[in-house]
Amino acid sequence: MDQLELLKKQWQAREQELPKLSFDDIYPMILKKSSSVVKWILIASVIEIAIWIGLNFLIPESSKTINQGMGLSRAFTLVNVIHYTIFAGFIYLFYRNYQAINSTDTLKELMRKILKTRRTVRYFVYYNIGTSVLTLFAVNIYYYFNKEQLYGLLKATFPEGYAEVDLASFTSVFFISQIIVGILFIGFIALIYYLVYGLMLRRLKRNYVELKKMEV
Amino acid sequence: MDQNLKHSFVKQLEEHQNVVHKICRLYTRNQDAHNDLFQEITIQLWKAYPKFRGDAKFSTWMYRVALNTAITLYRKSKKGVATQEFEGVSFKIASEKYDDTIEEQLKLMYAAVKDLNDIDKALVFLYLEDKSYREISETMGISEVNARVKMNRIKEKLRKILNP
Repeated sequence: MDQLELLKKQWQAREQELPKLSFDDIYPMILKKSSSVVKWILIASVIEIAIWIGLNFLIPESSKTINQGMGLSRAFTLVNVIHYTIFAGFIYLFYRNYQAINSTDTLKELMRKILKTRRTVRYFVYYNIGTSVLTLFAVNIYYYFNKEQLYGLLKATFPEGYAEVDLASFTSVFFISQIIVGILFIGFIALIYYLVYGLMLRRLKRNYVELKKMEV
Repeated sequence: MDQNLKHSFVKQLEEHQNVVHKICRLYTRNQDAHNDLFQEITIQLWKAYPKFRGDAKFSTWMYRVALNTAITLYRKSKKGVATQEFEGVSFKIASEKYDDTIEEQLKLMYAAVKDLNDIDKALVFLYLEDKSYREISETMGISEVNARVKMNRIKEKLRKILNP
């Protein structure tokens, strides 16, 4: 006989070899906290969202003063209104996806929903990285075309720092350092994100791909 | 939460715990991990229990939540990785005179099933539990035809592993 059929025949007959837990063993288990992947995804996602919202509050006063002096405050207010509306939309979507996750779904449906929840957060991060890059470029291009005004403004705001520097070297140092800091910052965020996302969902993704393969 | 609900849940789980133990054995490699997974499955079952209306059998409903937990929700703990593997499930029945080669074959088969990927293992598990292809397809979320085709492929694969 085929070995699998043999195993099947013996399968039910050998249940007496399995561990037997009593009512009192099981009862305390239902009071414990879950440590499921969904819970970790929720924690990671909330942290990611909080970090991005937090970063918006961390912009130093001096940079706000400069933006104001450069006549950008109205543009920034408009950008912020749009930005936070989109934030709210993302948070709503994330919450709705998270709520939809249900352990009684079919295996495939469950995996799809978890991946969708993560994808929403991933798009949120992409959106943030994208707008950071765009803002960085837009503001610096604007600054570049108004560099005399910027130079004058910085000299007035930080008299001890900029008094000695002439306009030409100010321009190169200022813009190169803006670009370097920007690239480092975005690279750092992308790396952290890749690590967190990759480690948490590697197994789930592999299994999902495996299940999808059965459909073809 | 309602005391009666807790009581009836634990009673039913106690009665059907074999299903969960069998899944834990297939999906973990040592006793610590087995207990860990059993714990997580219990929590997930309990969380879903209020929505269980008795329109399916308790055990049928359990298969889905338990497999979902083992494959998708459970985060493998680092606890006790690299410790010894289960002693191999003993397939000996004490009272019977038993052919050792059959015993050996069963062990090899079980080991081969354990080595399958998470998804294939779930299919084989449900097959060993004598579930119909309709039930298998409803648990996994794939079509009945696909479940059947896949199962035949896995059988073929296992045959090749054991009879090279």
